[in-house]
Amino acid sequence: MTSGRLLVPVSESVALRNTVAYAVRHVVESKAAEGAVHFVYPYSPQMVTGMDTSGVDELLERVEVWADDDLGDDAGAVDVQTAVIGAGEYLFSPGDYADVLAEYGEREDLETVVLDPEFSPSGTTPLLPPLEAELERAGFEVLEAPVERPTRRARLVRGGNVGQFLLVAALSFGFYLLIGGSLSTFDLVTGGLSGVIVATVLWRVCFSGPVRPGRLLKRIGRMSVYTFYLVWEIVIANLQIAYVVLHPRLPIDPKMVEFDAAVWSEIPVTTLANSITLTPGTLTVDVDSQSFTVHSLTAGARDDLFSGGLERAVRFVFYGRAAARIPSPRERGEEGSDDGGAES
Amino acid sequence: MVTITEGAVVALLAGGVFFGLVAAVGLLRLPDLYTRTHAASKTDTLGAGLTLAAVAVVYDAGLPTVKAGLLLVFLLITNPTAAHAIARAAADQGIEPWTAEDGGDEQ
Repeated sequence: MTSGRLLVPVSESVALRNTVAYAVRHVVESKAAEGAVHFVYPYSPQMVTGMDTSGVDELLERVEVWADDDLGDDAGAVDVQTAVIGAGEYLFSPGDYADVLAEYGEREDLETVVLDPEFSPSGTTPLLPPLEAELERAGFEVLEAPVERPTRRARLVRGGNVGQFLLVAALSFGFYLLIGGSLSTFDLVTGGLSGVIVATVLWRVCFSGPVRPGRLLKRIGRMSVYTFYLVWEIVIANLQIAYVVLHPRLPIDPKMVEFDAAVWSEIPVTTLANSITLTPGTLTVDVDSQSFTVHSLTAGARDDLFSGGLERAVRFVFYGRAAARIPSPRERGEEGSDDGGAES
Repeated sequence: MVTITEGAVVALLAGGVFFGLVAAVGLLRLPDLYTRTHAASKTDTLGAGLTLAAVAVVYDAGLPTVKAGLLLVFLLITNPTAAHAIARAAADQGIEPWTAEDGGDEQ
């Protein structure tokens, strides 16, 4: 599906550097036999009165240098070309641009167009959506270079019900009184007001689903068991780290490891990630849905991580006892992937 | 005459100081950002935790004990989050972790 032959229309834009990097990465990753990137500047003398072509050449030169930079060792495998197209034609509507691009693309046998999100050769006119449509009609696959690292996040504000509102209000009220440490009328009134304000603002943010008191209590119970287990782990691991740090020869062997954890959904993953970080010797660097990147200080810490004690405990908290019996990362064969390093 | 309470407080404080010290030593001795984050974030958690436990013991079963417990809970949540943020920012910047092969000339 991913093509190794790209057509990238360029113009002066703030996202240009990013777009070049994206296009080059796309070609390299497609591993096509005849990878090619053509950067073209749709240029129309009528459009820009009194403009000098040296600006265009300079831009294309810059793009070429960037592309070579990004290619690095793959420079031989990918054919990078630059061109000015549309000279002598009247480019005005998105259709005009699509026509010259399509003509060039067909001549050079390119199948995919990568669009710079800020691409606007004609100044301020919003060109992108119609251009995208026109190019797709001409039979090209159109990709838009992402503006930045793509992030996926669930919606923060969710639906809620009265139960959630009351629970948040009651918890805030209780916390207020606990910190204040008095039950005078003044504190009761201000506490009640604060509770209502907090609940009004946050009641739709605090919970990831409807409150089921029974399940909640069970989880809180298991969570307290887990806390004791975690504290114990923290103490043991801290002693190990203290030994390593104070040892005259500093016997560390740091390494990035990656593994897929057998926990699902936001809160359990967050809990596990934070627990891994809390346990000395391991530090969660990145989490992408279930895939953890963990920096480990010593081989012993790695061992503990892959024997999966923490993971199992987190599953126990959130899914009950049965889920604790899922095999550890080592048994699942996740251990082999420890040469991940820190890419990108 | 040292009572049991005083003894416990002294022991907890000594532990807190010890781990605080280990964190500081680790921060100085370890070779790169990631390993230093290990020392700064976690040995520190236990050090602060033990110190808070000492506070809780001093105040016996009063309200300050509850507050100390709450502080501990917040520490346990925020400390790893901050460490993760630092490490992740470093990884995003493309900082390569130090490995045993890089070293050897560690003096």
